[in-house]
Amino acid sequence: MTFKIVVCIKQVPDTSDIKWTEHNTIQRDGLDSIINPFDIGAIQLAKNVRFLLEKMNLDTEINVVTMGPSQASDILKNAVAMGCDKAFLLSDKKFSGADTLATAYTLSLFIKTQIPDFNLVICGQQAIDGDTAQTPSSLAQKLSIAQITNVIGLKEVNKVYSVWIKDSKTSTEEIKTGHPALIATTLKNTNILPNINGYIKACKTKITVLNSSDLNIDINKIGLVGSPTQVKKAYKFEILRNTTYIENESAENCSEYIIDEINKCRVNDD
Amino acid sequence: MTNSILVYIELNNNQPLNVTKEIISKLHNCNNNMQINGVVITDLQSYELSKNILLNIGLDNLYVINDSIFDSFQTCIYSDALVDFLKQNNPDIFLMGATEKGRELAPRTASALDIGLTADCTDITITADYDLLATRPTYGGKMMATIVSKTKPNFATIRPGAFKISNFPSRETNVVFITPDLSGEKILTNILKCENKIQKDDWTCAEIIVSGGLGLKTKENFELIYKLSELLNAKPAASRGAVEMGWAPESIQVGQTGSSVSPKLYLAFGISGAMQHIVGITNSDRIIAINTDKSAPIMNSADVAIVADAVSVLKQMISTYK
Repeated sequence: MTFKIVVCIKQVPDTSDIKWTEHNTIQRDGLDSIINPFDIGAIQLAKNVRFLLEKMNLDTEINVVTMGPSQASDILKNAVAMGCDKAFLLSDKKFSGADTLATAYTLSLFIKTQIPDFNLVICGQQAIDGDTAQTPSSLAQKLSIAQITNVIGLKEVNKVYSVWIKDSKTSTEEIKTGHPALIATTLKNTNILPNINGYIKACKTKITVLNSSDLNIDINKIGLVGSPTQVKKAYKFEILRNTTYIENESAENCSEYIIDEINKCRVNDD
Repeated sequence: MTNSILVYIELNNNQPLNVTKEIISKLHNCNNNMQINGVVITDLQSYELSKNILLNIGLDNLYVINDSIFDSFQTCIYSDALVDFLKQNNPDIFLMGATEKGRELAPRTASALDIGLTADCTDITITADYDLLATRPTYGGKMMATIVSKTKPNFATIRPGAFKISNFPSRETNVVFITPDLSGEKILTNILKCENKIQKDDWTCAEIIVSGGLGLKTKENFELIYKLSELLNAKPAASRGAVEMGWAPESIQVGQTGSSVSPKLYLAFGISGAMQHIVGITNSDRIIAINTDKSAPIMNSADVAIVADAVSVLKQMISTYK
C-alpha cells in the first residue's frame, strides 16, 4: 500500500514588493506571483517523510493541490519539479472569492473524493498575503482528523504514526500522532532547488484540473457565496497625531527634551 | 433575549492572560448595553486558584467548562467542548486572544460551526445592531482590512497588546459550571517530550520602550538601545529592519504577528516606520521619533518628531544618565 501525502499550496503575490497607487489601493499589476514560502516548507516535510519511508521500502506518493485560476498551474509545475508526484488544480469561477472556511471546505472535498485513502495532509501554516493561519486547522476539522501546528521538523514516521517537532513561543515539543493527520509547518523559504530530473518530471506531469461538479460539492458553501467573512474596506494605516517638530537643535538639547518627557511620563504615574 | 458578547478566557499558571483582560477592558469601554460573559475551559483545581481574578474582571456571567482532562491543552478536545457550548449559548459576538493556542483553537471551532472567523485583529467596533467590525493588518502588514461576517456569532481573534488593560467595573459575576459530554472523545495526539523555553518578562506592556531601527546603521550602535533601556529601566525593542540585519532578536520585534505594544512612552530611534510597525505602536500614549529624515513615515505618526541623528542623541542621553 502506497503512503499518500497531500500537500496544499497557495499562489501568493510577492508581498515584499508591494506598491501603493495614489488612491491608496495596492497596485496589483506587475506583482509577481510566487509559491507561498511556508508551502515550500510543507513540500520539504513531505519529502522528509518520503525519505524515511523509502528506507523501510514503503512507497510514497506526494500529491500537491492548489485552488486558483489556470495561471496557478505554474506553481504546481514548480512543486512537481521540487519533488511532488501528482498535481491537482481546483479551478472554477465558483471557487473564487473564498475565505478560509470556504477554502477549507473545498480542499476537504477534494481530498475526500480524489485521495480518500490519504495518510497525511501537510500545509504551510499561513500564507504571506493573508497571514490568518486559519485554513489548516479548519481543514483538519472538516476532515475530522488530528492537527499539529507550528511544526518545524519530522522526527520519526512509519505507516501507522509519526512524531513531529513543534516549536512554539513557550516550548519545544515532540508530538506523536496516528494517521491520518494534518501537519501545519512554520518552516519557510527552505531552498529546494529542483534538479534537471525535476524539471523533466514537471514537463511530463499532466496537471489534473477539477471543477466544482467534479468534487460533488455544495455550491452554497464555496467561493464568495459560501464565505461568511467579507472585506468591508481596505486601507493604508496611519496614526493621526498632532506632531510637534523639533529641528536644528544640538544633540544635548534633543537629549534634554526627551529626558524631560521621560520625567513627565514617570510623574504622571505617581 | 439579551444581546451578549462572549470572551474566551485563556489561563496560564492559574491567571488569565493579559490579552483576555485587554479584550474585556476594550468591551467595557465600548459603551453598549450588551452582556459581557466569559468562558473558561479548565480543570476545577486551576479554576479554584484563578477564581479570585476571574470574578473581578467585570463579567456578567462566567461559564466554567470543567473536567480533569483539561489540565493540558488539546486542540481537538477543547474545540469540541467549545463547539457544544456555543451551540447552546449563542452569543452575538465571540472573541478570543490571538495567542498560539487561540489561533489553533479558533479556526477549528469556527469550522465545526460553519461560521466566519477574522484572525489577529488589532481593532474592533461594535455596531448598533450588535455586529462586529474587525480590523486586521493584511498583505504582510502593508494594508489594513476591516472585515464583517454574515454568520453569528461574529467571531474574531484579537492580537495581544492591541488594547490596554483598564480598571474593571465591579459587577456581580454569576458563575455557571458546565460538565461537558466527552464520551466520544479520543486523544489523537500525544506529547512525548516537552522542553519549556525560558520565559522573558512580557516586554509588550512595559511603561517605556526604547526602540531602534536601521537608522542606527551598525550593530554596535544598536547596543546603545540596550544600554539606554537598562539605564531607564525600560524595555528595548527593534524594527523589522534591525532584526533582519541581525542586530536584535526576533523576540523583540515590534509589529509582527502577535506583538503590539502599548507603553506610556515609545522612543523610536532611527526607525522609518513601515506600516506594520506603526500598527504595532498605535496604542502608545506618547510617541517620540528621532530621525534625520523629516519625511520618514514615523515622523507624522509621532507626537514629537525630532529631526536629528539618532546615534548622537542616544549617546548624549546615555552620558547624562550615567
